[in-house]
Amino acid sequence: MTPLNPASAIEITGLTKDFSLNLGGVKLRAVENLTLAIPEGQVFGLLGPNGSGKSTTIKIILGLLEPTVGECQVFGVPSGRVESRLNVGYLPEAPYFYRYLSGTELVRFYGRICGVPRKRLDERVREVIDWVGLSGAASRRVGTYSKGMLQRIGLAQALVHDPRLIILDEPTAGVDPVGSAEISELILKLKTQGKTVLITSHLLAQIEDICDRVAILDRGKLILEGAVNELVGLSDRQSLIVDALPPAEIEELRDWLASRGHTLNAVEQPRTRLDQLFLSKVSRPQKAGDSP
Amino acid sequence: MSTATPITPLRSVPFSLERLTIVAGNTFLEAVRQKLFNFLLLLAIALVASAQLFREFNFGSSELKFISDFGFGAMVFFGSTLTIAATAQLFFSEIENRTALTILAKPIWRTEFIFGKFLGVFAVVGVFCALTTLLLLALLYHRETALMAANPEAFESGRLIHYGDLVLLGVLQWLKFGVLAAITLLIASFSNTNLYTVVMGFFVLVICHLQYLARDAYGQVAALPLRLLVQLLGYVFPNFQLFNLADQIGIGAGIDTMVFLRIAGYALIYIAVIGGLAVYSFRNREI
Repeated sequence: MTPLNPASAIEITGLTKDFSLNLGGVKLRAVENLTLAIPEGQVFGLLGPNGSGKSTTIKIILGLLEPTVGECQVFGVPSGRVESRLNVGYLPEAPYFYRYLSGTELVRFYGRICGVPRKRLDERVREVIDWVGLSGAASRRVGTYSKGMLQRIGLAQALVHDPRLIILDEPTAGVDPVGSAEISELILKLKTQGKTVLITSHLLAQIEDICDRVAILDRGKLILEGAVNELVGLSDRQSLIVDALPPAEIEELRDWLASRGHTLNAVEQPRTRLDQLFLSKVSRPQKAGDSP
Repeated sequence: MSTATPITPLRSVPFSLERLTIVAGNTFLEAVRQKLFNFLLLLAIALVASAQLFREFNFGSSELKFISDFGFGAMVFFGSTLTIAATAQLFFSEIENRTALTILAKPIWRTEFIFGKFLGVFAVVGVFCALTTLLLLALLYHRETALMAANPEAFESGRLIHYGDLVLLGVLQWLKFGVLAAITLLIASFSNTNLYTVVMGFFVLVICHLQYLARDAYGQVAALPLRLLVQLLGYVFPNFQLFNLADQIGIGAGIDTMVFLRIAGYALIYIAVIGGLAVYSFRNREI
């Protein structure tokens, strides 16, 4: 478990959240005694099966729910206070925005709510829409957008006030592999800009690719937390990738290793990942813009 | 995309009228793009306009009175329906479509959100009242002019209709709808469904229209505790009958300015108190 430290973007201490199921006092414990620190400048994955407490935790971080016990601070400010949300951008799961607004109007609306100064608002709206690769569709009504476009306009509204912390709840849910890869690229770009990103996703391969650290929740409890490389790497094993060898040479190699007290555990043919193969074959219609 | 200085540096977040009006503006925009608003508006306009088709044939002031009553009756019926339906729909569309999640995750007070919603609905109902009142005035003016030409002896002392007072009556209806919108918003703030909110909204509307009957009846005969209870409920539920000055003003008699101001103040106090309760209830709601 990560020790709490002053450089954390989010600090959760002893957090428990109960929901009342009926008037008889029956309660559902969604999160139980969760203590977690999310360091600034990292991409942090919050994982867990459905009903594990991920969304409840996110809602508490955003001040949308009050914890039953414990506390949550965002950049040192209790999450129940409006001030804690000044530097937070949020993309909800399966976002549904005002269908009657155009992409530009939508981002502008949220920019005004966030207090982006009027003299910078138009420029900033153009910047973020361009950055998520939606310049060509900015004047279209949001109601006509595809799922991937909705996620990207959602990302634009989350970034319009240039927050230090971006919370993405299932940003690739329902998005095709091309759109999913583009969102991953955008998240990695955010990291290079020093932003802290908290992401939940069921696409574990994607999480593994983009996250520095992960925490796994199950039935409201934290069961594992740490750096991705430490968690998934096998420190007592190594892979050597060589040109294809004939069987006789493999046997020679096995004997050579055995003579030095080592064991050849497996001989496998390296495979590319299916998502990488898919992305290398299909066309990518809209390329996200680079950082302006 | 990153900027050297944050666009929104850490600071306190005071209550903002600007954010409130942004929410109100968006609510208004959403409402006028809904088919229900357009449908009710067209229906009300059609009904007000049809008032002259049902006129009596004994030309004179009674015909004008009929058109006026019929027009304001249409305004009250469709305005009440629009107020309850639009308030519930505009509130629950935010909850059910989860746009409330996105907006409340921004640095915005729930007070700004609730009063923004209220002001958006209030503006929609204001447009409705303005259009139907203007149409009614135009109809009355047109008909009165025709009657004056056909029957000049009945109008020896000039026009019978106090048009300014009819405008004030339209304003009072608007304020009454404002109270109704605040009540509906209060119900929505703790309700789980749109349907429950609409049904309860109409239920309270009926109570507010009829509560004066109960007060009169129980004030005469009931025992003291029951009388006090009814009196208390009389303060909890606003008396909508107070806004019904159509019998007293407009045609034949003028409106007392003090009466108008007292009723307007009565409505504004109820809007403030009920709106405050809605905010309190919504602040405790888990989104």
